Amino acid sequence: MNPTVRSRRPASPPLGFAPRYPHVREDHLDADARREAASKGLMRRDIGRKGYPPGGLNIASAEWKVMFIIVIIAVLVRMFRLPQPNSVVFDEVHFGKFASRYIKAQYFVDVHPPLAKLLITLAGFIFGYDGNFDFKDIAKPYENVPYVAMRALPALMGVATIPLAYLTLRALECRATTAVFASLFLTFENGLVTQSRHILLDSPLVFFTALTVFVWTGFCNEDKHEPFTESWWTWLILSGLSLGAVVSCKWVGLFTIATVGVGTLKQLWLLLGDLRVPPRLWMKHFLARALCLIVLPILFYMSMFGIHFLILSNSGDGDGFMSSEFQHTLSGRGMADTYADVAIGSTVTLRHVNTQGGYLHSHPHNYPGGSNQQQVTLYPHRDSNNDWRIINATSDVDPEGDIEYDQPLEYVTSGMRLKLRHISTQKYLHSHEIRPPVSDVDFQNEVSAYGMPHFVGDANDDWVVEIEKGEKRDKESGKRLRTLRTHFRLRHALTGCYLFSHKVKLPEWGYEQQEVTCNKNAVRDNSLWYIETNWHPDLPPDAPKVNYRLPGFLGKFLELQQVMWTTNAGLTDRHTYDSRPSSWPRLRRGINFWVKDHRQIYLIGNPTVWWLSTFAVLAYAAVRGFLVLRAKRGYRDFENTKVVKYDTLCGFLFVGWLLHYFPFFLMGRQLFLHHYFPALYFAVLLCAGVFDLVTANLRPRIRLQIAAVLIIVAVWNFSYLSPIAYGNPWTKSKCNSARWLKTWDFNWWVACRLVF
Amino acid sequence: MASQSQLRGRKGKVPALSGTTLQPDDDDDAHSGSSVYQRRQSSLERTLDSDKASVAVVGLLTGLAFVTRFYKINNPDQVVFDEVHFGKFASHYIQREYYFDVHPPFAKLLFGLAGWFVGFDGHFQFENIGDSYTDAHVPYVGMRALPAILGSLTVPIVYAIMKESGYSTVVAAFSAVLILFDNAHVAQSRLILLDATLIFCMSLTVYSYIRFRKYRFKEFSQEWWGWMIATGVFMACTWASKVNGILTVVCIGCAVLVDLWDLLDYRKSSMERFWNHFFARAVGLILVPLTVYLFFFWVHFAVLTNSGPGDTFMSPAFQETLRGNELLLNSQEIRYYDTVTIKHKNTKVLLHSHYERYPLKYDDGRISSQGQQVTGYGHPDSNNHWQVIPTKALPETGRARVVRHDDVVQLLHVNTQTYLLTHDVASPLMPTNQEFTTWPKDDHTRYNDTLFQLHLIDAHDGEAWKSKSGHFRLVHVPTKVSMWTYQNQLPDWAFKQQEINGNKNAAEKTATWYVDEIVDSEADPSLPDRTGDAPAKEPKSMNFFKKFGELQILMLQHNAGLTASHPYASSPINWPFLLSGISFWTNADENKQIYLIGNLIGWWACVTAIAVFIGIIGADLLARRRNIEPIPDPVRNRLWNNTGFFVLVWAVHYFPFFLMSRQLFVHHYLPSHIASALVAGSVLHYILSDDTLNYPISVRGDKMQPRARTYADLGMRGPAALLGFTFALFCLFVYIAPLTYGTPGLDGQQVNARRLLSTWTLHFAAKATDGA
Repeated sequence: MNPTVRSRRPASPPLGFAPRYPHVREDHLDADARREAASKGLMRRDIGRKGYPPGGLNIASAEWKVMFIIVIIAVLVRMFRLPQPNSVVFDEVHFGKFASRYIKAQYFVDVHPPLAKLLITLAGFIFGYDGNFDFKDIAKPYENVPYVAMRALPALMGVATIPLAYLTLRALECRATTAVFASLFLTFENGLVTQSRHILLDSPLVFFTALTVFVWTGFCNEDKHEPFTESWWTWLILSGLSLGAVVSCKWVGLFTIATVGVGTLKQLWLLLGDLRVPPRLWMKHFLARALCLIVLPILFYMSMFGIHFLILSNSGDGDGFMSSEFQHTLSGRGMADTYADVAIGSTVTLRHVNTQGGYLHSHPHNYPGGSNQQQVTLYPHRDSNNDWRIINATSDVDPEGDIEYDQPLEYVTSGMRLKLRHISTQKYLHSHEIRPPVSDVDFQNEVSAYGMPHFVGDANDDWVVEIEKGEKRDKESGKRLRTLRTHFRLRHALTGCYLFSHKVKLPEWGYEQQEVTCNKNAVRDNSLWYIETNWHPDLPPDAPKVNYRLPGFLGKFLELQQVMWTTNAGLTDRHTYDSRPSSWPRLRRGINFWVKDHRQIYLIGNPTVWWLSTFAVLAYAAVRGFLVLRAKRGYRDFENTKVVKYDTLCGFLFVGWLLHYFPFFLMGRQLFLHHYFPALYFAVLLCAGVFDLVTANLRPRIRLQIAAVLIIVAVWNFSYLSPIAYGNPWTKSKCNSARWLKTWDFNWWVACRLVF
Repeated sequence: MASQSQLRGRKGKVPALSGTTLQPDDDDDAHSGSSVYQRRQSSLERTLDSDKASVAVVGLLTGLAFVTRFYKINNPDQVVFDEVHFGKFASHYIQREYYFDVHPPFAKLLFGLAGWFVGFDGHFQFENIGDSYTDAHVPYVGMRALPAILGSLTVPIVYAIMKESGYSTVVAAFSAVLILFDNAHVAQSRLILLDATLIFCMSLTVYSYIRFRKYRFKEFSQEWWGWMIATGVFMACTWASKVNGILTVVCIGCAVLVDLWDLLDYRKSSMERFWNHFFARAVGLILVPLTVYLFFFWVHFAVLTNSGPGDTFMSPAFQETLRGNELLLNSQEIRYYDTVTIKHKNTKVLLHSHYERYPLKYDDGRISSQGQQVTGYGHPDSNNHWQVIPTKALPETGRARVVRHDDVVQLLHVNTQTYLLTHDVASPLMPTNQEFTTWPKDDHTRYNDTLFQLHLIDAHDGEAWKSKSGHFRLVHVPTKVSMWTYQNQLPDWAFKQQEINGNKNAAEKTATWYVDEIVDSEADPSLPDRTGDAPAKEPKSMNFFKKFGELQILMLQHNAGLTASHPYASSPINWPFLLSGISFWTNADENKQIYLIGNLIGWWACVTAIAVFIGIIGADLLARRRNIEPIPDPVRNRLWNNTGFFVLVWAVHYFPFFLMSRQLFVHHYLPSHIASALVAGSVLHYILSDDTLNYPISVRGDKMQPRARTYADLGMRGPAALLGFTFALFCLFVYIAPLTYGTPGLDGQQVNARRLLSTWTLHFAAKATDGA
């Protein structure tokens, strides 16, 4: 043998020539199914009719019955006492609230994309929820909320995950026993049960992940048989849509996209090495996949946001996250047109560009320290205390602050020296070499309002305008100050510092408004201001007026993505029940969902399922590593069809597990046990794959018996921990004995606290 | 270095597997010259590649390197940037005072040595950037000369690496010039900073490893062992210079793994041969470096025997090994009925109680016991005084009255005459933790709840409890919770003092307390003797490995903790493109400044070269997938095994920074920059050489057939490209030099002109907006 011959180019058979991997034959079917099929004389013809297995849907009718029974069991397990507890549980606080916002059409911002929340809202809406409940605290009793219907949606999606798992495994050429084994394991997984019984996003996420895996497997089977047929396109398009749905539930769906991406790259790499595929055909393969697996999900994702914006048309508590332009697209936030030209004597309001702190503001309260002069802050709402008048500092200033309005208009240009007079308190915007109250550092000066009626003011009131940039469409705005269009900086004439603000709040004495300082090392973005409203008595009523330019859908979409990203990255506070990824596969600790009246709901997995799946993952990695070493020493394991079959199957699931798990190690934000669920789904399927391999050479009856034993252990384990999944009453002794690991911190005494 | 070997088709030269006899690897450049485009070497090329020419070139480069590194090395005569730290550490070595730093000691020891050699007495403290050396009579030039020498010698090493890798003199000189005229390397090696040592050792490691690889056909020969051990030693020096030297270890580790993977192939070697190689490498590249690394720490501890600013970082046991340490001098045994104050180790608050009680109901609706408040308080106060009450019979006098490890005690709050107590009631702020309160002295109904066991940390049985040094956990006997506190204030009803509660994790690391002082001991007349002037105590000894382990863990923790933002910190993505530099030093009087920034042409050439390499490799992979062979096999082997190795060095020294959340600076990229200069040289060779190369370059094995030599030929293009590039680099180098050497001063317009990229934040720039 000359080993290098094979290694030159991995052989890939021509398309439509021979199946790449062994197809479903009798020995891959369950014995019962085989006997049944044979007795009807359908066996060969059934498969042979189309000549290939079209995926997971082509199963014997007896299996449909088995699946039906499993679904019934899943419904019973997931829906058992769904109305209990009748109060708010864990993150229902958030997602229930978002449903209320959708129904009332009030704008909000959340770190998750909208699909799952829209579905929950739909369930609530159909059953007549009016959006008036506030979901304020965990354990607050529900009033007039169809919360059972809202919970039923995730519960039903949890149920639907079970047959998908069954069909996926069948499509991956596992035996029926294996598929039953995996679907029952998933059915009796306490964590998935607990999570799917409440108004939470993870159940839809897991469902769509499972759906994607199923459709993608179907597509792969088609692709092995014959590409570009009608059903090939169907499976491919379904994969794309399903991917869009996953990523529209939670961004974790990106990991599913990565999994499918790896599979696609592998297919394309193999095709590239097949010299019988001409480049033109390869490009066709490439473009079809790019279209359906990249463009289609993006369109789906964007259309979800389209619906999101369509529903949320009114202003709400999420306004503050968005830019002013965005806010003006919400009804109730509009602004009348305002004069475009800013001149000496204009009454203006100034807004800070980089933060959503609001308007330059002053009010008749003094700083408690520093100069003890009047406070200057940023205030987010409209108010007459935001009004300032622009006064020329170089000409003689009238102590009354009134301007002789009969003079010709003098526009404000770059380099002009100004004073800003706060109209309601008759003081000037002022700065001096005194440290500000909160940002007490060398390079920051305090900004205050100083002066009194009949006082001309001093040189510390003088500010120099530096125009930073105008808008391209308004050429004038680069040369002189134009409302809304010009971004400018204000330099303090004497000390050279810039009027500045940042996301730092003043304490209670400043009503928690945002701090304004004068900064000598100002970050450019935080020292930019623009004028939002402008009024001048000498301007004729027909003078040019301006308003915000409203962003289109794409602008709104991109801005919201950015806000979601920064909010998500900012979720770094510790939570009492957060955990690091390394603890998940070991099931070291759960999450306390709800405690009330001596009952508790605590998210914890089924240890049997959980630890067996982790074991399967490790076993696969170890065996695969061992086989690679053996191959290096010249053993020819990878020419064995059985090894190849199971390696392909388990390898796919392993890559899925890996990509849904390891990226979490790179995340700094708070993480919870339920982030492991998509990875768990892959791990359980992988566990089934390993089961299929281990029992491959056993007689069907023995195989069935082993599966039955494992399933019974899992069910026993489920019922053992079920009181904290359902919030059923429990006894102290049972509770204490169920604490297998001391890190599982559910406690009879948390629920049954002694009261003094 | 040869992961691709299986993919390569070989032209009928696969030898039959024959036991243990040595076979030429086919991962090597071992190819008959038939497929190489043969051309006669031009006379110019032959002249340039002769030994004499090579020596002349390297001599010239080294000379220039010394000139550029030493030019005006005495300027500025002030403390610059991190000289604040590393200068100070040198003075600590000379004074033999213990200090703590996140970096291993090798490079700092060298500075200490250099300082001692030039007669620095260690009294200057390097307090602030801008402090004058001349006024303090510090021989700083001698100390700066050390990194300058090492930085200069890096240039010939780069040349040698390229030469050993089989490139022609022109290409080797090209790589060396990229380093020679690089402003960042020059600026970094003229000051008392660790990077010059790090880079010098790292390039020596790469050089030794390449020499080692070239002996692979004479395995286990003397030279083979010699170069391998040299690799290990230099690797250890790199690692011991600076924490990020560990990346060099990782890099060599990766290369060795690839190498071993290749040896594991059944067509190449028996298992016996494989294990021989494996253990040889384990000795040369794990055991030897580890020993060298430990040795530097041994020297570090041997030099630093006196108490110094680093004491407080260390454990009490460690501190007591230092002469003149406060713990060593003032630590006292505590006896029953002593009144003490108890301090939390992490947050430095004192255990405190006062008459005010917990409110009945908290804001979240939970209910308290309404007991007396126990809080953490930061300031001295008589309410911090607690008396240690025994729970067993005591003799009148003698050693039995000393409190010991695992004793069960009660703590009596002196001012209110109540005992410290905890019970199964949730604490005010954390529902999962237990509330701490007190109970009247005379009421014995809850005696059991006032019992606490004293767990001294790392103590043996019967060890006495000491003030200052006796770190302990206070574990409640009935409920097994540990007294704990953290940075969180109680509301106004407790005067915003810190919450103290019972942590259910009794082994919690942050639940560590110590006795700050023994306030009073009226029950025991012997106190004056104990706190009086004790005779000077001799430092205790401690096992070296324990000391090393403790210091190593602390270094890792503190390194990860360096997350505070710094105005000149930058994110790694900026580095290869040289988007930002660091302001090292400014002098406002003469508008002088030192700004660490590289030579723009050189850096961009390097990053382009890496992109070109990735492009070539990618295109080649795709083409071969379609059965097209655009590159002859020997050239591809050289690209993978040699340039690929350089790219590995570059990547391993660069990408891990993306995962670090600590402060990062552009000088962390300098080791990667060296590697990218090597890549740039070999890519230049590939572009100019028309697929010719110098072959063979490895040392021939005893049983191998000699093979036909081929030579690289760049023709006139080589020297022309080199001269053109050198000229451009030199011009830009000179242009930016005022920022590198900190002299002469520049006026606003000149500074603006030198701001080649808008992201460089130079000082003293003219305001562009003023007049406009």
